[in-house]
Amino acid sequence: MTFSVKRFMAIFQKDLKDLYRNLYVSSTALMPLIFAVIYSRIGEVPLAMHLFVITLSLALVGTFLQCAIIAEEKEKNTLRGLMLSPATLTEILAGKSAVTIVITIIVTAVSMFIMDFSFTGRGWLIAGILLSLVFFIALGTWMGLITRSVLEASVYILPVMFIFGMANMFIGLADQFSFLQVLEYTPGIQLEEIAEFSEAGAGFDELWKPFAIILAWVAATLVLAAVTFKKRMMD
Amino acid sequence: MIEVKSLEKIFGDKRALQDVSFQVKKGETFGFLGPSGSGKTTTIKILTGQMRQSAGTANVFGIPVSQLNTPEYRKRFGVVTDNSGLYARLTIYDNLKLYADLYGTSLQRIDEALESVNLGSEKKTQVAKLSKGMTQRVLLARTLLHKPELLFLDEPTSALDPANSKHIHNGLKELNRQGTTIFLTTHDMEEADHLCSQVAFLNKGVVQLLDEPKQLKKQYREEIIGIELKDGRELELPLKASSAEEIQQYISREMVERIYTKEPTLGDIFVEVTGRELV
Repeated sequence: MTFSVKRFMAIFQKDLKDLYRNLYVSSTALMPLIFAVIYSRIGEVPLAMHLFVITLSLALVGTFLQCAIIAEEKEKNTLRGLMLSPATLTEILAGKSAVTIVITIIVTAVSMFIMDFSFTGRGWLIAGILLSLVFFIALGTWMGLITRSVLEASVYILPVMFIFGMANMFIGLADQFSFLQVLEYTPGIQLEEIAEFSEAGAGFDELWKPFAIILAWVAATLVLAAVTFKKRMMD
Repeated sequence: MIEVKSLEKIFGDKRALQDVSFQVKKGETFGFLGPSGSGKTTTIKILTGQMRQSAGTANVFGIPVSQLNTPEYRKRFGVVTDNSGLYARLTIYDNLKLYADLYGTSLQRIDEALESVNLGSEKKTQVAKLSKGMTQRVLLARTLLHKPELLFLDEPTSALDPANSKHIHNGLKELNRQGTTIFLTTHDMEEADHLCSQVAFLNKGVVQLLDEPKQLKKQYREEIIGIELKDGRELELPLKASSAEEIQQYISREMVERIYTKEPTLGDIFVEVTGRELV
């Protein structure tokens, strides 16, 4: 399998330039910053609240951005042009994902800065966030492939926002609504566990489980995205 | 360059292509002619690896089309279809720069390609502001960037006015002179006649006729000489030596307005062979 850095960079630069001019998508991706500003005003912010904004950022920026970028390529018939060019599937997806990764990391970092949350000494949490980011981007890729337009993508993103982006908030209602207990397995809750366990000084012998659960989500969505991509690119 | 044998494509219970066979030699401009829904785009999709055939073989560059999906082979051909798209928020230059980088060609080629489609002065224009015809020309320029050995064009001038069509035709002829093989689908018979060295008539998924335009016109020509006289009469005489004396008389009496042979257009031949209009 070949991988051309030049082709990867060409797609990355094009997407970055295009996104800069796409006000609808880029302004939606800035939503976590608004939450961060609001929560930073309520005095001492609990760890769970920080994790809520981080997860929201991963879902809203990571998933929605990726989904919108791919959905628009399909809507405007430009993805087929890329597929017929020398760019490989890996180069196309890597170029697009790199844009989403960079913007998600920036938005998440700025949100946490606004909320006065430091990542210093929180290596396990950073590792968990990066692993979760792969899941959210793979989910966005898959959603982008199954939706036909940016408008459709912004509708499809709503359940994802509720299930994966706001799990940390809805899990509090699991005592009243037992079906919500399934949210315990979402990456957001696993990130919260990683943060809490590592704050308490736990090592990998206790942290492996939330990492394994996130890894399982990553594997499942990567396979789903790859299979769907190959299927959708052939008529 | 292209070798297709007994190609078939079935969608559900509809047979889109049936027993399609043809060859396109290196350096040729091959016209695949037929009305909408006859299977032209399906054929291009199969030949460019976007769709799998149900039966038969299709080789491009001497290899099965299923093996075309490598950067090395993709650099050797270019495609413009009726649903190719551009990035509307970016400028023409940015759109072409992406593809110049993907194909590994120099940025100088962008200017050359834009000149060849008469858009040299528009490179900083945002694609969203272009007319349909200009968009089509940018798509063509994008395909010409890497000087492909083989060019697939699906109705390349369908959205263009006559002046721009002529400009594109001249560009394609020049490209062909430089050695590019062109596979062209169109329902514009004048375009096919002007550009193609060989044409195939596709009707309901079946190739009904395949030959050089000149041969086809000769084969379907009515063996008649038409004479339009100055007094308004029109005469039709058999294209034989026996008519020579009669024609000479009209000429010597200065009665002739116009003399013509009844040569059919490719469109006339298509209608005669398939019984369908080319729309």
